[in-house]
Amino acid sequence: MKAISFHFMPYADLPADFTETSRSVWVDIDPKLYDPVKGHAMYRDYLDELELAAEVGFHGVAVNEHHANGYGLMPSPNLMASTLARTTRDAAIVVLGNSLALYNPPLRVAEEFAMLDVLSGGRLVAGFPVGTPMDTCYAYGVDPATLRDRYNEAHDLIMAAWTRDEPFTFNGHYTKLRQVNCWPRPLQQPHPPIWIPGGGSVETWQWCAEQQYVYCYLSYYGWKLGLTQMRGFWNHVKELGLDPNPYRSGFAQFIAVADSEQEALDLYREPAEYFYRRCLHVHGGYAEPPGYKTEATVRAGVASQVEMAAKGGPGETTKAKAGSKSALGDLTFEKMVDAGYILIGSPTQVAEKLHHVATQLNCGHMMLLGHFGNMSKELCSYNLRMFGEKVLPEVQGLFDDQWEDLWWPQHAVGGTRHVPAPDGARARR
Amino acid sequence: MIGVQRCGSGPAVGYLHGPFGNPGIHPFLEALGGHVSVVAPSLPNFQGSEPRTLRSLHEWLVATSETLEAAGLVGVPLIAASTGAMLACELLAIRPDVTSRLVLLSPLGLWNDDDPVHDIWSERTPRQAAWWLRHPARAARFLEDPPGLGADGLMEREVSRYRCRTAAASLMWPLPDHGLAERIARVRVPVSVIWGAEDRLMGSSYRDRWAVSLPDHAGTTVIDDAGHLVEWDQPERTAAAAVDALSLVHG
Repeated sequence: MKAISFHFMPYADLPADFTETSRSVWVDIDPKLYDPVKGHAMYRDYLDELELAAEVGFHGVAVNEHHANGYGLMPSPNLMASTLARTTRDAAIVVLGNSLALYNPPLRVAEEFAMLDVLSGGRLVAGFPVGTPMDTCYAYGVDPATLRDRYNEAHDLIMAAWTRDEPFTFNGHYTKLRQVNCWPRPLQQPHPPIWIPGGGSVETWQWCAEQQYVYCYLSYYGWKLGLTQMRGFWNHVKELGLDPNPYRSGFAQFIAVADSEQEALDLYREPAEYFYRRCLHVHGGYAEPPGYKTEATVRAGVASQVEMAAKGGPGETTKAKAGSKSALGDLTFEKMVDAGYILIGSPTQVAEKLHHVATQLNCGHMMLLGHFGNMSKELCSYNLRMFGEKVLPEVQGLFDDQWEDLWWPQHAVGGTRHVPAPDGARARR
Repeated sequence: MIGVQRCGSGPAVGYLHGPFGNPGIHPFLEALGGHVSVVAPSLPNFQGSEPRTLRSLHEWLVATSETLEAAGLVGVPLIAASTGAMLACELLAIRPDVTSRLVLLSPLGLWNDDDPVHDIWSERTPRQAAWWLRHPARAARFLEDPPGLGADGLMEREVSRYRCRTAAASLMWPLPDHGLAERIARVRVPVSVIWGAEDRLMGSSYRDRWAVSLPDHAGTTVIDDAGHLVEWDQPERTAAAAVDALSLVHG
């Protein structure tokens, strides 16, 4: 199993009355709430934390893209990845990722990811999310009806740009280029591993399985809810006759480790409540612009609503999925722990839980959020060190006696296909 | 394949729908059919017409042109509503033969920075009706599921509604302005405008702007107790005003 330290880089100083005074943490969050001086300190701390994660043994560090978002301060994850490529030595640089439809032309993604791959000496994981409705449709104004069409076309352009060995013409509906010629070329050949972060779209399961890309389920609601989603993906893998290699998948999970369970509960309550109450305070009107969901997903949703109606109404998890104020306002720390949103406890407890979760999900790439909410650098460092020193040794061998990780960067630590980084890249560090 | 609703008798008049499409013979069509012979085609992705990916205004205008041709409406007086009104004007700007007489019901398509059209697609879905309509309950019985539908029927209704909403949102995304202000001078046929007095989606600045922007503005009628989708809130009075504007009273 690979442990990847994932960081959202939240703004950690949202006011206590944020949920009463603001409509949403995303899209229309008040710009006056952002203090760039504090923001400077946060970026510094967050990069320190990711670098520490690499030092204490995490196999990779992960960043992602959000726009106009108070809990994700990385409109350009590539800028952060660029820094981490220089300050880490062996860890995979997992960029989860670039929302392809937002780049014009999308060739820019091929170029910047190639730069990162070369800069890092072949340690890049290239993430291709469709992107959330808040990021793509509201903050960046993309028509939800054409978002996936744009995404698919951008994907085809990027893959061709990386793999074709001569300049070529690209004649798409949205992008037309007389000469496509990606310089630099990716160090990993034919291209870096491709991971697709998804939120439960039926087509994404099928597409990832068909393309043999890694499917990453990014939910804030823990492994119990994620189990249904991951089963959907694994069903498609099975239908295609592919092996159930756990490294075909990734899963995001909050972790909180301390010397004892009680200490963990005491230490991590506040940042967890900050995250779930303030950071997930998303206006419901931004959740589902018409056209964002595919028809197949609508059909799946209709079916499940019919089922729920038969059982007396939609359940709490459905409300929570929509990030609705009413659902999250009632969410207690105890519920977060009980429902598995956070794997919390002593090192032994977290190791057991993580082993269980990874096994249940059949997931080889665990993207672990050791920082959440307004967690201080000191507490996050403690969490990461405890995990690296006491939890990781207990779980990292999972799956490796049976499966090879074919989706890991060639020059990152822990890869079974590991190839030493180019001499030139090493010598300069 | 296009869906077409027809009712009434007398001189032919076309109706180019707005964001709700044509869910059967709805009250406005029925009221209009009391005066004229109504032909109401559905644009792609709306009820009865085929799903189609429309990526740009250009593709929408080709689809609109094809829809009007297929319904036999080229050259016929046309009533066009909201998003459909925007398409009708855009099409007339490049294809003057589409109609010789036009009535616009709460037309979208212009933009005023000082008075932006409300961002209805940022409202929670159940609250959107109150932005479209003054009387959401009146329209609801034509838009909601009829009783007795099985699970498959309910699902198809849900998917159909989602397609309509997707298409309507697409026409308005991110702003319901595709540059018509630069072309409206080319709309040279007489155009009447009907406006809901309590339109929450667009302020009255738009009503005034349409009046001065249309080269042959034939008058504006304001319907009381009506919101943006004036023909859904006040079907009879809107139909009478439209027929009056067209000077096509039958019988």
